[in-house]
Amino acid sequence: MRNVLITGGSRGIGLAIARRLAASGDYNAVAVARRESGELAAAIREAKQRLHFRACDLAVTEATSLFARSVRDEFGPIYGLVNNAGIGTDGLLATMHNSEIETLIRLNVLSPIILTKYVARQMMADGAGRIVNISSIVASTGYNGLSVYAASKAAMVGFTRSLAREVGRVGITVNAVAPGFVDTELTKSLDEKDRRRIVGRSALRHLPGVDDVASVVEFLLGEGGRNITGTVVTVDAGSTA
Amino acid sequence: MSVKSKIFAAMKQIAEEQKVTLPPLEDDLPLNETGFDSLAFAILVARLEDELGVDPFTVAEDAAFPSTLGEFVRAYENVPA
Ligand SMILES: NC(=O)c1ccc[n+]([C@@H]2O[C@H](COP(=O)([O-])OP(=O)(O)OC[C@H]3O[C@@H](n4cnc5c(N)ncnc54)[C@H](OP(=O)(O)O)[C@@H]3O)[C@@H](O)[C@H]2O)c1
Repeated sequence: MRNVLITGGSRGIGLAIARRLAASGDYNAVAVARRESGELAAAIREAKQRLHFRACDLAVTEATSLFARSVRDEFGPIYGLVNNAGIGTDGLLATMHNSEIETLIRLNVLSPIILTKYVARQMMADGAGRIVNISSIVASTGYNGLSVYAASKAAMVGFTRSLAREVGRVGITVNAVAPGFVDTELTKSLDEKDRRRIVGRSALRHLPGVDDVASVVEFLLGEGGRNITGTVVTVDAGSTA
Repeated sequence: MSVKSKIFAAMKQIAEEQKVTLPPLEDDLPLNETGFDSLAFAILVARLEDELGVDPFTVAEDAAFPSTLGEFVRAYENVPA
């Protein structure tokens, strides 16, 4: 059974990924978040030992190395890492508090980079692995009020491409997935008018769901993803087409 | 096995996998003359962390990497348990 670590696996897109991987029968999914949600607890009960929760505040990067080691000690070699945890604080740059900017950049950029460092070196020791970073279409399009968030998501794309070059020789693939707007906690501040506008602009006239993102992650982790690395897969129902 | 011989064994293993020819392993051998590139060193540090349970370069205060094989080995020998 291949172990896959999914950060932010307690709700939204991360939970959908964790659930889907556990249900596939090919993976042992370890969902990481600060708190276990009721939804995740229910999914764990259904998943028959294939889905687990481990608490970790990923913003505390001093503890990341120990956390990565404890997961390996408990579950064995980690085959897949899905860097999905993130926050979507919006606001005009001119009035955003510096502490909010720092918190966002820390969790969305610094945390996944440092976690990847420790997990990738385990993968290097093992000679195989798959890394998937959850970016966003906002990394390459523009959205009013999301400049800091967009910067963090674009950072993941740059990270993905260069890391793919760095670890390709040891059999590790690194890719990013860029979802369009998906209904989750993270996007609940968007009002109905904006939401309708996004739907209206998408080629398919609807929004992608969390499971659409999860199925792409499953593909990248699976056999079909073996020769895909250093790229970005967009899942946005044609919003950016 | 001593720490030093574990390090040498791991280096020989990686040299074989990465198809590099190691020169004789001596204390004053500069690391950049081992034939190892940065990726090979990254693999080495990762394997040694698995085997010895320590990564002296993460624990260290400064970000300097040793320059000779002897210094590299000492970093592992001197790591606070
Ligand atoms: N929803 C969208 O429209 C959309 C579009 C494009 C990209 N994305 C990206 O997709 C990813 C997931 O988004 P989502 O919409 O599913 O968000 P969400 O529903 O808000 O879930 C965020 C997850 O991250 C975890 N998390 C937050 N802070 C954490 C911390 N300090 N340490 C550890 N875990 C933490 C949360 O758990 P705890 O709070 O318990 O820690 C939760 O499991 C994000 O990277 C986001 O940028 C989302």
